[in-house]
Amino acid sequence: MLSLHNTKCECGHQNAVGTVLCESCGKPLIENAESDTPLEMRYDGVARRSQKSNPSIIDRVWNFFSSVKIAVYLIVLTLLSATLGTIYPQEDSFLNNFDATTYYKEQYGLPGQIYYTLGLSHTYESWWFITLLVMIGTSLVICSLDRVLPLYRALSKQQVRKHLRFINRQKTVYTAQIDGSAEEWVQSFGNQLKRKRYRIFSDGTALLAEKNRFSRWGPYINHIGLILFLLAILARGIPGWQMDSYVTIPDGDTVHIDGTNYYVKNEKFTVNYYSDDELPEELKGKARAKLYETKAVLYTCVSQCSDSSVKPELVEVDRHDIIVNSPLNYKGLKLYQFDYDVTPKLKGVKPVLINKATGETFGPFELPMKDAPIDYDLGAYHLKLVANYMEFAVGDDGEPVTLSREPNAPAFIFLITGPDLPAKGQPYMYFPMQKDKEKFGQDQLNASIADKLEIKVQGMENVDFSEASTYLNVRMDKALPYVWIGATISMIGLLMGSYWQHRRIWLRIDDGELSLGAHTNKNWYGMRADLAAALRQQGITVDPKSLDNGGNNA
Amino acid sequence: MSLIDFSSDAFVVAFFLYCFAFMFYVIAIAGKKWSNRDPEKHEKKWGLIAFVTSSLGLVGHLTFFFTRWIGSKQIPTSNMYEFITFLGMAIMIAFTIVYAIYKKPLLGMFALPLTVIVVAYAAVFPQEVQPLIPALDDIWLKVHVTTAALGEAFFAVGFAAGLMYLLRVIDFSDKSKKGKRGQFWLEFSLYTIIIVVGFVIAVFAFRGMGYEAHFVQEKSTIDSKGVESTKRETVDYTLPPIVKPYNSQAESVDSFLGMDHAVFEAPYWMNGVNAGRKLNTVIWSVIAGSILYGLLRLAFRKPLAAVIHPLMDGIDPEDLDEISYRAIAIGFPIFTLGALIFAMIWAEKAWGRFWGWDPKEVWALISWLYYSAYLHFRLSRGWQGKRSSWLAVIGFVVILFTLIGVNLIIAGLHSYAGV
Amino acid sequence: MGKYRRPVQIVILLAVLIVGGYAIGTSLFAAKEDGIPKVGGTPPDFTLVDLQGNTHQLSDYKGKAVVINFWGTFCPPCVKEMPEFERQFAKWKDEGLEILAINLSEDTLTVNNFVRRFELNYPILRDVNKKTERSYGLRSYPTTFFVKPDGKIMEIKVGGMTEQDIDERVIELLKY
Repeated sequence: MLSLHNTKCECGHQNAVGTVLCESCGKPLIENAESDTPLEMRYDGVARRSQKSNPSIIDRVWNFFSSVKIAVYLIVLTLLSATLGTIYPQEDSFLNNFDATTYYKEQYGLPGQIYYTLGLSHTYESWWFITLLVMIGTSLVICSLDRVLPLYRALSKQQVRKHLRFINRQKTVYTAQIDGSAEEWVQSFGNQLKRKRYRIFSDGTALLAEKNRFSRWGPYINHIGLILFLLAILARGIPGWQMDSYVTIPDGDTVHIDGTNYYVKNEKFTVNYYSDDELPEELKGKARAKLYETKAVLYTCVSQCSDSSVKPELVEVDRHDIIVNSPLNYKGLKLYQFDYDVTPKLKGVKPVLINKATGETFGPFELPMKDAPIDYDLGAYHLKLVANYMEFAVGDDGEPVTLSREPNAPAFIFLITGPDLPAKGQPYMYFPMQKDKEKFGQDQLNASIADKLEIKVQGMENVDFSEASTYLNVRMDKALPYVWIGATISMIGLLMGSYWQHRRIWLRIDDGELSLGAHTNKNWYGMRADLAAALRQQGITVDPKSLDNGGNNA
Repeated sequence: MSLIDFSSDAFVVAFFLYCFAFMFYVIAIAGKKWSNRDPEKHEKKWGLIAFVTSSLGLVGHLTFFFTRWIGSKQIPTSNMYEFITFLGMAIMIAFTIVYAIYKKPLLGMFALPLTVIVVAYAAVFPQEVQPLIPALDDIWLKVHVTTAALGEAFFAVGFAAGLMYLLRVIDFSDKSKKGKRGQFWLEFSLYTIIIVVGFVIAVFAFRGMGYEAHFVQEKSTIDSKGVESTKRETVDYTLPPIVKPYNSQAESVDSFLGMDHAVFEAPYWMNGVNAGRKLNTVIWSVIAGSILYGLLRLAFRKPLAAVIHPLMDGIDPEDLDEISYRAIAIGFPIFTLGALIFAMIWAEKAWGRFWGWDPKEVWALISWLYYSAYLHFRLSRGWQGKRSSWLAVIGFVVILFTLIGVNLIIAGLHSYAGV
Repeated sequence: MGKYRRPVQIVILLAVLIVGGYAIGTSLFAAKEDGIPKVGGTPPDFTLVDLQGNTHQLSDYKGKAVVINFWGTFCPPCVKEMPEFERQFAKWKDEGLEILAINLSEDTLTVNNFVRRFELNYPILRDVNKKTERSYGLRSYPTTFFVKPDGKIMEIKVGGMTEQDIDERVIELLKY
């Protein structure tokens, strides 16, 4: 516990409990008076707010967070726990179709299972990691507040004439005998320092020169920025402030963005590849994308939005050619090019019906892959769609089945009625894709009707392909401006504190005896160089290194 | 001659100038004790010669950088080779700045070998210009990579000065337990550096012999749609395979000293790009480095740290401590800006999230937390001298892990191709 | 500053408690609530149309034991399950069991053909553009949700079931 005895200095100043150096004259108060090692100048020796003789619970909590030691341990603890999260991929690095409960065990065995059970598969969202961040934030606030206010007070009312013991126990000192007028010497020395952009305060035979005091506020500004940054990140948890989802849109399709009133259309997706002569040897022949682009249109729904049975009414609000690094941005909603899939998807065909005997053609008629109409009238013939299969296959029991709901190998069964056909009609199986037609033997399946009629597509212009699907990442982040503000403030503080140093020189001349002490919060080398240069101008040549009084060079 | 060929020549010139500059710095420091000369004059003269040489080397390096930029029409920081050479260049820039402040030739004695090792390490990677994928083609990427590398370069100079401090102050006559421990770890640090040299030597030795081995690896991956697919990939080795890729078959293996098949298989959890090959390379580096270290020990008959220690006589340890601290204090804001803030801006632009807890991002954050802990320890807890220097040395290991280790064992967005 | 010290301390510590508590609280909470239904949770509501054009809203079924089954004609275990559900429906419908079979966004024709072939009598709902399926966070098919009368999920069964599996679960469900 700190001494409670009289904290009044011999110069008459009343200091707060816990003061190390008299706030007025700088005389060391609680150290052994006979010691001549350099003084501890941190926070200019003022009493920090947190130090109190009889702490209550609030004081204890406050003191805990006010300790830099605790702050550093918190930093170290955070960095150690952050490493844990990089051992295996985090859960949220997987998009979908991922089951965390089994993935880690299957992929990494027992260590993976332990990793998952301990919750390390979502380290950065875990309560204990967040708790660490909250504690760091708290420590930032309390540490800064406890130091910046006393420091501000101490620096704003500095005494020019310091106690001799204060000057002689600085880390950079110089003493000499001065001949002639002390006032004149001090005056001219002050002028030398002025040229080095010091501010001079003098009372005749004593002098205080100071520069770059603002750099002392750097760390605190930095901390304010960091607190803002942390708060901004926290604000992202407010409902509606942040959104992150993915949409897959085949060429030409319009899809709804979940959780919003927006629809987005992919008018055209294009991808360009590097040509072979642009590629080095080992990459030749490999498709390496040079540029991919989605011509996107954003709509809002104005009516019939929630009813799934009717088509919603959409109004265009924005359009943009989305490429990597250039998202569509509408009122904070951003659509990023995330990935693409160039597997072509059949959307529809326009086949004709051919009478093989006469060579007559009927049609063409539109046959979309999805939700095709049931009835088709083609001249004398009538086609009725009775079954369709998106990925046709023959099941174990010989029945036709579909293997998926995507039109990978579509097949349609029509019941055809018309001239030369039975009154109840005759089934005709149609495979729009040539490869399926051959694979499943369309003509054999259709048997007798295959001799009379044929459904076929004439020319590629009658095939509607979606050439590619684009994957867009939908994001919204209302906290973003605050994140940047926080980062900027923090950076400004960091620069202030790192690239400028607060330098002070005190001197007094007592009976021709010059005592000079100097302090800086960083870069003693520069401090000594300043001092040696000013002394040289006064006709005193010293090796800068000789000014060093030992001790720590923080 | 194309611009890119010219740029490669400039690189070779820079490399040799660095080597010469290193020798001159050694002469400037070690030569002080030679007879018949004034130590101060000697140091001044040779220090100047060395500094001019190293600066010329930097000019050559800058020439390489900019001509390659013009020749390839993209900033040369996009693959491992380009990035590591850039890092070497950044270390030289950082060194030149710190040198301009302190004018201590002895710093060159450690910063230059560091640059030489880094540059030689870069030469191991494939040097062709590779076209960028669209995600990487952005101004913020350039700003992010270059600024981050510059910040790291200052940490590297801080590391060099910290190591020098330790070599200067660790007392080799101290037989106490604590003294022994300090000696051991210092020696271990030097050993680690020699392993990196061993890596470069091993790669170039086998490349000179034209050694080749090929494996076919089966990899099953689950794509974004949840479809599992098995891919067969050929993995090409340029070093004899002690470790073969996980789940792979040998296709052809050249015989080396009668060794014509892999001894071990890489563990399944090493899932970075070409993890098996990289692990094999690490093993070879340790072998080559250990042989080199053994030879050096045999030649000097005492620990390497004890060999260097007397060279450091007469150097003020406080200067070294301050240089190490200053370099880190200068590098910290640059690193913050480059590795965190610019990285966030770019990530926001490219992926729509400024932070995604990608392993590389996490490790950048870890490095940043580490160095902020360093600064707080120093400023508020008074950790200086030995402790501070150890922190600077360890910090550089953290930086190297972030740069290289993450790519080696953790898969993520920042995967580069490599040996 | 001196005399305001205690109030300032209290205000700051309170702010920390509230903001920090919120942050830690949401991280604890978010670990459980990611929108995807879990056992003991409430299934996301939906309004879907059946083959006859009638609208069904899940919230209208509150107070009843409901089996929500996601199925498609392209999924063999789903196909096998559908007649089993039909028998179970016949067996338990008088006890108050409701079955809502949500088709996985297939064509009307496909669904109609299927329902006609197996003569299914319980409501077959039509999802559109995988919307409902996504809100339930489905990973594989079939997936069946057993919902108690109080609207909470009793069990989520991923993958096919035998008729006995269904029977046991329905008996369990009807106990509530």
